[in-house]
Amino acid sequence: MWIVEYRELIRILTVSDLKVKYQSSVLGFLWSLLNPLLMMLVLYFVFSNVFKFEDDSFALYLLIGIVAWRFLANGTMTSISAIVGRPSLVTKVYVPRQVLVLSTVLSSFVSSILEFSVLIPLLIFFGVDLSINVLFFPLIHLAFLGLVYGMSLVLSALYVYYRDLNQIWDVLLQAGFFLSPIVYPAEIVPDKYQAAYMLNPVTVTIEMYREALLYATTPSAADLAFVAAAAGAALLFGAAVFGRLEGRFAEEI
Amino acid sequence: MASRLSLPAMPGVRQIGEIVNGTRGRGEEAVVVENVSKRFRIPHERKSTFYDHLFGLARGGRYTYEVFSALEEVSFSVRRGETFGVIGPNGCGKSTLLKILAGVLRPDGGRVAIAGKVAPFLELGVGFHPELTAIENIRLYGAIMGLSRREIEGKREEILEFADLKRFENMKLKNFSSGMYVKLAFATAIEANPDILLVDEVLSVGDEAFQKKCASKIEEIRRAGKTIVYVSHALASVRDLCDRCLFLEEGRIAALGEAEEVVEEYLRRMG
Repeated sequence: MWIVEYRELIRILTVSDLKVKYQSSVLGFLWSLLNPLLMMLVLYFVFSNVFKFEDDSFALYLLIGIVAWRFLANGTMTSISAIVGRPSLVTKVYVPRQVLVLSTVLSSFVSSILEFSVLIPLLIFFGVDLSINVLFFPLIHLAFLGLVYGMSLVLSALYVYYRDLNQIWDVLLQAGFFLSPIVYPAEIVPDKYQAAYMLNPVTVTIEMYREALLYATTPSAADLAFVAAAAGAALLFGAAVFGRLEGRFAEEI
Repeated sequence: MASRLSLPAMPGVRQIGEIVNGTRGRGEEAVVVENVSKRFRIPHERKSTFYDHLFGLARGGRYTYEVFSALEEVSFSVRRGETFGVIGPNGCGKSTLLKILAGVLRPDGGRVAIAGKVAPFLELGVGFHPELTAIENIRLYGAIMGLSRREIEGKREEILEFADLKRFENMKLKNFSSGMYVKLAFATAIEANPDILLVDEVLSVGDEAFQKKCASKIEEIRRAGKTIVYVSHALASVRDLCDRCLFLEEGRIAALGEAEEVVEEYLRRMG
């Protein structure tokens, strides 16, 4: 299995990716935390008057949604060029190409964990009762990792052949941001669309993050199973597409 | 799913394409190539975006391309411990062959079986990152070669010593001179201790003293019984270094045999 055989390479690529990411900007790590906070502030002032929340947890509601979404957006946006961005590792030497995608996704995964762990003290500070349900966080986050990695496999492989895919994906991500319950509560979606709306695994995942971290409720087994199944399907589909397209990577780069 | 890493029945054996019956057990041959063909598609109009494809369809255009056959039904084998030369005029398929052996390109037809760890010297410094220090780059390269962390740490000092770069071990690679860069790259690749070396005319690196060091290192590796596949235009060095030699012309085998004879045949044909 390539994951075991090349685990050292995966580790090194992930760590060096993180190092470059956090060292190249002046504020480094701080920036990556400020970004979601500032975004939360902007969205808070825009949307807090649009949707009437009973309690004043809207800021935290937003923040959890934003941080969760950032993992999907950053993870797929950086790994879309994981193959094309390292031409020498594709055309000059043989390493399993999935290594390149996985290490980019893992680097975003680590960033996301850091962002979430800064969120915890904020939750406590604003008086949220953290319950034992916080322990569901790793489970939800791992399922989300599977989903993001599966998507990244498809995107990075297609990007080798279609170099405007990043532009298209950028637009699709913008649409996805507003199609997911990030700046608004899921309940405002009309009843007749609810069933279809909840078919989006990203929506269900974001709702589960909030249940575990903000509302101190236990995510339902059905939701967990649904997201895990979606992640499994994304992984299988991603691996199949990647395997088919991989053969001519070295010729197309 | 075509996964080439799915069948490591014997440790260290990498199969490309289908399994070659019998070659895995014998251990006699380091490289077996059977009826390998490689064709490249050269599109008339390069379409590399969704936009191009949509626009092309709308105008009623069709995806047309020419097929360029880089290798045709090439078969040969390299014995363990042999130094094997590959010669031929430009564009004869030498580099394509080397890339197929390295696992970078997938053949369209035929089978390739390789027993052992391959170090492709297609280019030096593959994977090196300018923002990382010398030591970090050594670790990175070792990992690319599939070495474990412990193996890499064990070789670190040797590499820095061989490249004369001990003093600069914590300097970022972007501050290296090109000579230092190449020295580090060569030293790292050679110390990865591969079973099979694929060499594509990269041996002339660094200053005079370092070149001598490289040449003697290669000789040492040869004597240690490692297999070397050497692609070159330098006929004299092919004649001196190689036991046997393959002469490719327009993707087909023009001659295969003792290095001396094949080089002579090559000179006669190219006359």
